[in-house]
Amino acid sequence: MSLLQKLKNRVRSKSIHVCFVDVGSCNGCDIEVLACLAPRYDIEQYGIYVHNNPREADILLVMGAVTPQWVDKLVAIWEKIPEPKAAIAIGNCPISGCVYNRRDSYIDPPAAKHIPIAAQVPGCPPRPTEILAAILSLAPTIFENYEEKKR
Amino acid sequence: MKKTVDVSIPIGPMHPCWKEPIRLKCETIGERVLRTEVELGYMKKGIERIMRGRPWQEVMFLAERICGICSVIHNMVFIEAMEGISGIAVPPRAAYLRVVVNELDRMESHILANFSYCYTIEHETLAMYLLNVREIVLDQLERITGSRINTAYMIPGGVRFDITEEDAAALLAGLARVEEDVERYTRMFATSYLIALRSRGVGTMTREKAIEAHAVGPTGRASNVPECDLRLQHPTYQKLGFTPVCRTEGDNFARNMVRFDEVMQSISLIRQCIGQLPEGPIRGGGACTAGEITYQGEAPRGELTYYIKSDEYGRIIDITVRTPSIMNIEACTHHMINDVTSVADVTSTFISSDPCVACTER
Repeated sequence: MSLLQKLKNRVRSKSIHVCFVDVGSCNGCDIEVLACLAPRYDIEQYGIYVHNNPREADILLVMGAVTPQWVDKLVAIWEKIPEPKAAIAIGNCPISGCVYNRRDSYIDPPAAKHIPIAAQVPGCPPRPTEILAAILSLAPTIFENYEEKKR
Repeated sequence: MKKTVDVSIPIGPMHPCWKEPIRLKCETIGERVLRTEVELGYMKKGIERIMRGRPWQEVMFLAERICGICSVIHNMVFIEAMEGISGIAVPPRAAYLRVVVNELDRMESHILANFSYCYTIEHETLAMYLLNVREIVLDQLERITGSRINTAYMIPGGVRFDITEEDAAALLAGLARVEEDVERYTRMFATSYLIALRSRGVGTMTREKAIEAHAVGPTGRASNVPECDLRLQHPTYQKLGFTPVCRTEGDNFARNMVRFDEVMQSISLIRQCIGQLPEGPIRGGGACTAGEITYQGEAPRGELTYYIKSDEYGRIIDITVRTPSIMNIEACTHHMINDVTSVADVTSTFISSDPCVACTER
């Protein structure tokens, strides 16, 4: 492994930019992601920054059962994120549709049908610590030796 | 033809300030925003369609998943409507415990709304302080109900868990910490020069306009409409001698101050409830039967209405929900974001009316 690759690995594991998109949840998961910002959990001490801008993000947090209006927009947002990138499904909704996955509802789960999902955090809603642990355990493995894997 | 509008600026559906997707279209002349249109429909899941034909045991959990922030009041209004249909009486201890949990939920919702406002006007210090206080409130909610967000605490004829002496003491100790902190942050908010420049006199809505647009909740009460608080009609709140908080300015500053004052009021209501908590059972009996009712309750954002029609086994035949945010969003776009001086004020004014998109579209 070259020195440059080592340096990239180190930098990428210490600086993760996160973007979140709500594709039709009950906003319970949204406020748990917001709670990660609170000084008690303090997401920024691990080098994770929430900017909500797909063009500078590394990790996309997907929340909510996918509504028809979001199907094309979710793919468009995913394509705007520069490589290397990963998506995490937060809550039961993007995994299975949770309580909304019944006859007569307007949703189209799972989110993995529309974009590649790297990790899933079940729960209705999951605790902030679980969301934090998922991002921290996923990011270094996805971004490690990215250039070598690509070759 | 004379050009009237320079640019139509879209804000959203994905925006750093907003937790949920909604789109605003601002028509501008230079920096000045003439009028704003709101575009909804990104979150429509059709919960009311799923609810029809299902037993109340299932609909109860669906009802609280209409909105994650104010899940307790959705649970409470649905259960009290079912009790109204079936004539089930609630033991007095359970009625007081319901008020305790409802007020804790209102506190966390109001603190989150004020966090969003401070974050939108880039006062990140106060925003982070408020978010940290909110965690103490959520701890108390978790101590009583066992869950942070979707609590499912109330059931027809009572509540699920009793509160022990230990829990009550810990709750009061937590509230003392919250009171001390929120008092300090209210003073910071009220006296800060920077916040006053961004908030005072921005997005003003008069009492006449508020009544015309049917503004509800803190948005209405900031425009001097105290009678829109439906807690005045709730029997347990009447026993506690509840009087609504009200302000006369009707601008962004007043809406946030109303929410700060309501947090302090909720603390005193919970203290009153714990002080005069009667002994006795927390669950009575009763079965849900056929009937039809329109029941209203006061959510953190305003008036919440449920129309329910059930059959003799307690299955829901027809249900319609009207949530407060739809009135506030309309009032906001028609009367507040009118001729504001810059696009930056559009987001802060919109956030100050505390919109909840998941509630609105269901």
